[in-house]
Amino acid sequence: MKEEKTEKKSLQGALFVIIRALTVLTVAMIFFPIANPAKVCGVISNKISLFTSAISYNSLLPSPVRIIRSGQMDEMVIIIAYIGVLIAFIGILGIAAGACCSLGNLKLQRLGFIFSAIGSVVEIVGCVICYVAYIEVQNGDPRFLKKIDPEVPVGVFVYGIMAAVILIATIVLIVTMPKASKDMRYEMESRFKLFLMFLPFAFLAFLFSYLPLYGWRYAFFDYQSGGTLTADNFAGLKWFTYLFENKMVRSDVLNVMKNTLGISGLNVITTWLPMIFAVFLCEVGSMKFRRFVQAFTTIPNFISWVLVYAVALSIFSTDGFINTFAVQAKLITQNEAKNYLMGDSLVWVKMWGWGTWKGIGWSAIIYIAGISGIDQSLYEAATVDGAGRFQKIRHITLPGLLPTFFVLLLMAIAGILSNGLDQYLVFENADNHDKMNVLDLYVYHLLGNDQIPLSTVVGMFKSVISIVLLFMANGVSKLLRGESIV
Amino acid sequence: MAKTAQEKIDAKKEKEYYKKHKKMYRTKPGDVIFNIVNYLFFGIFTFTCIFPFYYLFINTISENELVKRGMINFYPMTGSPENPHFGAMLKNYIAMTEVGDLGTAFIVTVTRTVIGTALMVLASAFVGYLVTKQEMWHRKFFYRFLVITMYFNAGLIPWYLNMDLLGLTNNYMAYIIPMIVQPYNIILVKTYIESIPGELEESAFIDGASYMVVFRKLIWPLSKPILATIAIFGAVGHWNSLQDSLLLMTGNSSLFTLQHRLYNYLNESSNLGTLMSQGVSGQAAQQAMEQALNSKVIKYTVAMVSVIPIFCVYPFMQRYFEKGIMLGAVKG
Repeated sequence: MKEEKTEKKSLQGALFVIIRALTVLTVAMIFFPIANPAKVCGVISNKISLFTSAISYNSLLPSPVRIIRSGQMDEMVIIIAYIGVLIAFIGILGIAAGACCSLGNLKLQRLGFIFSAIGSVVEIVGCVICYVAYIEVQNGDPRFLKKIDPEVPVGVFVYGIMAAVILIATIVLIVTMPKASKDMRYEMESRFKLFLMFLPFAFLAFLFSYLPLYGWRYAFFDYQSGGTLTADNFAGLKWFTYLFENKMVRSDVLNVMKNTLGISGLNVITTWLPMIFAVFLCEVGSMKFRRFVQAFTTIPNFISWVLVYAVALSIFSTDGFINTFAVQAKLITQNEAKNYLMGDSLVWVKMWGWGTWKGIGWSAIIYIAGISGIDQSLYEAATVDGAGRFQKIRHITLPGLLPTFFVLLLMAIAGILSNGLDQYLVFENADNHDKMNVLDLYVYHLLGNDQIPLSTVVGMFKSVISIVLLFMANGVSKLLRGESIV
Repeated sequence: MAKTAQEKIDAKKEKEYYKKHKKMYRTKPGDVIFNIVNYLFFGIFTFTCIFPFYYLFINTISENELVKRGMINFYPMTGSPENPHFGAMLKNYIAMTEVGDLGTAFIVTVTRTVIGTALMVLASAFVGYLVTKQEMWHRKFFYRFLVITMYFNAGLIPWYLNMDLLGLTNNYMAYIIPMIVQPYNIILVKTYIESIPGELEESAFIDGASYMVVFRKLIWPLSKPILATIAIFGAVGHWNSLQDSLLLMTGNSSLFTLQHRLYNYLNESSNLGTLMSQGVSGQAAQQAMEQALNSKVIKYTVAMVSVIPIFCVYPFMQRYFEKGIMLGAVKG
């Protein structure tokens, strides 16, 4: 008797696991273009997922629209497919709600079964409607069938079968589970409650941080924007070798790496500047002056690079402050006025200079806080021992700031490939392009030139190297200081 | 408070000590030179941080003809080129309101900053609270799941294709939804909430409060300082963001942000007066606009329009800087 009961319990447990796992799988799958039930013919883009097609009818339309206009295909087909996919989407929301409820007590679980059952039925109905759309496509004008290219929507079966399994499992559970008594209340263990409250945010993180990794597949195809990813244009590692074998691209990449490492290198070897800035600012006696300097040197940090460029234009361009002032002071004539932002001399230094101007006041704050954290009695003792200003700086302040400096230095080294796009985008012009072209800008321009696979490859290399560098920096930090930085 | 006898004695001793070692504390000539150089350096550097903005500003409030001739260098002037005199006007700013696309860009930027920041702060506070709860199902795993996203990045193209996949191109929501979950801010809030005494929460639970009630009535009000900090950084981020507008809104210019517009104006080499006067109807009005606005002034005025809000909130921001950056140094 008892054994039977435990057996029953374990069966129910297994069914719950099946329902939840399938629900999670279904929800994750709706964001992937593979197995979109609405893809009933070849002319519908195979880049759109169930989610995209369900939230906007217009996403289904663009590719077939020409064929529809020319009367070769009935728009009804697309409408039916859209209705189907929308219904399926609503059904999926239902089973998701059901799976959430299944974490609660008996009463909540029984409510969840209703959601799951209705949701899966609705989902199956949606899939069937999509299949109807497919049959409609086949029944279209046979002359154009080859162009329209009817395609069995695999998604219909994938989603349909998963929904059917959920439905069966739910029915079994409804039958075998005891009924909840009337005076029972909807309740859930707090650990699951917390989990469910957290879930939407984890989901957002999945959508915007993890899902983009799926885009790395473009690196393995011959892809042009508006095209499709099929087995035909699968290119294997072509783009990876292309990067090294094609002469043009190789010289481009070498130049880009030179610029990236050059500018980042300047930044890395001057990581100590904010520290010195802070140290000397703290030597300023007047508190008021110190506050004033701190307030105004941090402002540029909050200004966007576009605005920095506007500032640069107003000061350094042909009709900017420096030139007009010099002309008025009769130092130069109007014709000698020159645009300091054009030209390719000292581009790296200039970029480093703008970055430093923008960031030094801000970066100094952490050191200033560090200095105020140093034990004042150390300074007093040093004064008593006759130490001068610079001796105190050298033997007390700098050693006190060293751990902070070390962390920031490691972070700077870890970020050596990430210069950021905005700065180089705004300061770039035809003259200085060759010296300005850093990795981020290069990738951006590749996107503009419709070189999606190649730029994906470059981006992949960048991401992987960056994360390796970060962990190496972390390892160094652990080794030397016994403390990790990430 | 009255000093104790011991303290009085200590103070006296200290004074005597200073008197005795006066020589050591005397200002040396080296110090004087050091101070002069130091003050001078910081004075000049601060000047370079303020002056460009001041220069932009005086050019936008001066007579445009004078600006065109490059006569405005240190203070605003109005009047004819032959007879300039000190003065100011707001004509350019009023003209800006008549340029159609700038108005929409301003509205888009302001609404995204307000809505986006509000949602981000709300989400950070809530998630930050949730991840402090030890009893959460697989808390550690899910916390790491969030935090690890700070350290990797799929890259520009996959990001773009993903946004396209989610139907977020040419869609206002692309400004809001991706910015809601910010792991770094969540860590900041979590660290802060952990510093709040746990007894407060416990007693609320004993009184029968639910998680939501505790969050609303207790955690939210208590963590306001850190929420203000992340709100400031979030708002500045929203206000300054260029990349999402530049890459995602290519098909719908009414969704451009202010930074994107400014970027376009700065890059535009043709006569901007013509371009911008399209927002005004009527031949006469167009000509008047063209006369009123030369390209240099337009650039400067648009720049000022997008920089003034930052200057306005800056004094309030300053209070929270140090707190933010120091908390950031503490890892989660």
